[in-house]
Amino acid sequence: MGHADPPAATAAKRRTKRNRDGLIAFVILAPMFLFWLIVSGFPTLFGFFLGFFDWVGLNDTPNFIGFGNFVHFFQNKVYTDALWRSIWLGGLVTALTLLAGFGAALLMNLPLFGKGFYRSIWYIPAITSTVATTQVFNIFLDTNNGVINNVLKSFGKEPIVWQYSAAWGIFWIVVYSVWKGVGGAALIWLAGLQSVDPVLYEAAAIDGAGRWGKLRYVTLPGLKPIATYIMITSLIGAIQIYEQVLFITNGGPYGQTEVLVFRIYRDGFWDFNLGMAGASSLIMAVIVIVIAVLYYNWSTKSDRRTTIPVKPVKGGR
Amino acid sequence: MAEPFWLSLRKQFTPIHLLGHAVLFGVGLVLLYPLIFMILAGFYDKNEFMTTVLRVIPIPEEPTLANYRALILGSKDAAVSTYMTNSLIRTAYNTFWALLTSFLAGYVFARLKFKGREQLFLIMLATQMIPGTLAIIPTYLEFARFPFAGGNSIFTGGTGILNTWWVYLIGGPAINIMGTFLVKQSLEKVPIELDEAAIVDGAGTLRIIFQILLPLQLPIMAFIAITTALGTWNDFITPFFYTNSDKLQTLPSAITRISSVGASPGAVINYPLIITLSLGITVPAMLIFFFFQKYIVQGLANTGIKG
Repeated sequence: MGHADPPAATAAKRRTKRNRDGLIAFVILAPMFLFWLIVSGFPTLFGFFLGFFDWVGLNDTPNFIGFGNFVHFFQNKVYTDALWRSIWLGGLVTALTLLAGFGAALLMNLPLFGKGFYRSIWYIPAITSTVATTQVFNIFLDTNNGVINNVLKSFGKEPIVWQYSAAWGIFWIVVYSVWKGVGGAALIWLAGLQSVDPVLYEAAAIDGAGRWGKLRYVTLPGLKPIATYIMITSLIGAIQIYEQVLFITNGGPYGQTEVLVFRIYRDGFWDFNLGMAGASSLIMAVIVIVIAVLYYNWSTKSDRRTTIPVKPVKGGR
Repeated sequence: MAEPFWLSLRKQFTPIHLLGHAVLFGVGLVLLYPLIFMILAGFYDKNEFMTTVLRVIPIPEEPTLANYRALILGSKDAAVSTYMTNSLIRTAYNTFWALLTSFLAGYVFARLKFKGREQLFLIMLATQMIPGTLAIIPTYLEFARFPFAGGNSIFTGGTGILNTWWVYLIGGPAINIMGTFLVKQSLEKVPIELDEAAIVDGAGTLRIIFQILLPLQLPIMAFIAITTALGTWNDFITPFFYTNSDKLQTLPSAITRISSVGASPGAVINYPLIITLSLGITVPAMLIFFFFQKYIVQGLANTGIKG
């Protein structure tokens, strides 16, 4: 609206523009939301709703029991163990992935020949299918003809039955998760490193800072926003790990590698305990949302520009 | 930057650079190892794979292209080409819709002014944080009771849209929330004066959207396309849980069905077939990645920093 309209006319025009905007928005968004409700919104709400019912087996009738499932959750070691395992496993995977990724990013930030090539090969595990690559891990971990046991045998050692040991199960779940996540973490750290203003490094050099001094006094403070972002997103992703548990240990031995989201899956598909699956999901959702809100508040307080929603783009349905 | 080639070459040999090369290459090789293993194992004959003692570097005595050929030309033992076709169709379909919905909805949230815009957007973002596993069973129930479909008289009686193509088609037009967010952020950096100038020149809304704003968003659209394509390509949940017949399986769900998760307890796992199907998933994904990695790297940097 480049021309100078009289004030009343401008106001009227603005009002019609607003109405028109609302109409266009409605026409564009309504169908999208309708489909979203069908495949995502409604099932999710319905899932939460089921958390307040006792419903085992699809043919049974649901019984409203209020908070009964939640009481059961916190009184039953199977669930509290799974929750606790989700938290520490998620924390461990996050810490290892981010540390390794940070080290790699520092090296990728050097003016090396072929750094583009290095970036690619580090990131490749992230684009592979969990279903396919966990199967390769299973071939490595086979008891009789697994690659690792064959190596052990060739050194004259006893083969290990990985599947009988919860500790080894967790170990391989962590290895798999770090394997898959480290390249992505490195790329995000690298983008963070490259966003630090080079003038600051020059200033630090003038003040006599060496390589470590620059890292300590320029790089690390400059990385603070990206560090919070990547820690929170990784943590939220990692406490919901379950596909690798499903395909590598399937929760075994005796449920000792079950994490909470795996437990949700198991309740739903093996035991048809839909009430407990819903209640567990609600608890997980609350934890995730609390983490995200804390992050959101913290980062809006410190710097609005760096507030980013906390989930990677995923295709799925 | 303007230093001569040989000087920068000499710089590659300081200790820290050598360390960089050694670690990035060495660990990179370890990271690639499972994929290298998969590609090499693909050259085994079915029987040789089951009887040989698997080494760290699996080199078959009688290499065969049978597995790779099965992926392209189909095989007698499994409906590999059906899985491949289903995977491709799903991926193309979801990618198309993700691009369309992300861009249009991103435009709406970035440019149009209406009541409740910010609140709606925040609610959308919040729903992204709920674990997706929760929705699987309710979705199953919903699909089974889908009104007037699959023999249902209103809600019951039949199997609804379970085990039909609708399972794959229905999710496409749903709003893609992360994509919407990325487009919104990116459009907000485009000055509104550009739209206004176009209006003065007589362009309509559609024209502004598709001829003026869209061409500016190609990198972010490429990122959305690649992430959606890879996400759908690797997704096993939808086909595994909501379909049953072999004709509707995709590559990942076909693997799931014959893996320890889907196979009957105690059954011998058919690893040669799993390897073949895994190659079918992994090799195209790697190719897509190599062709478009520029956009992935850029997009990750964008989601990470500028927001």
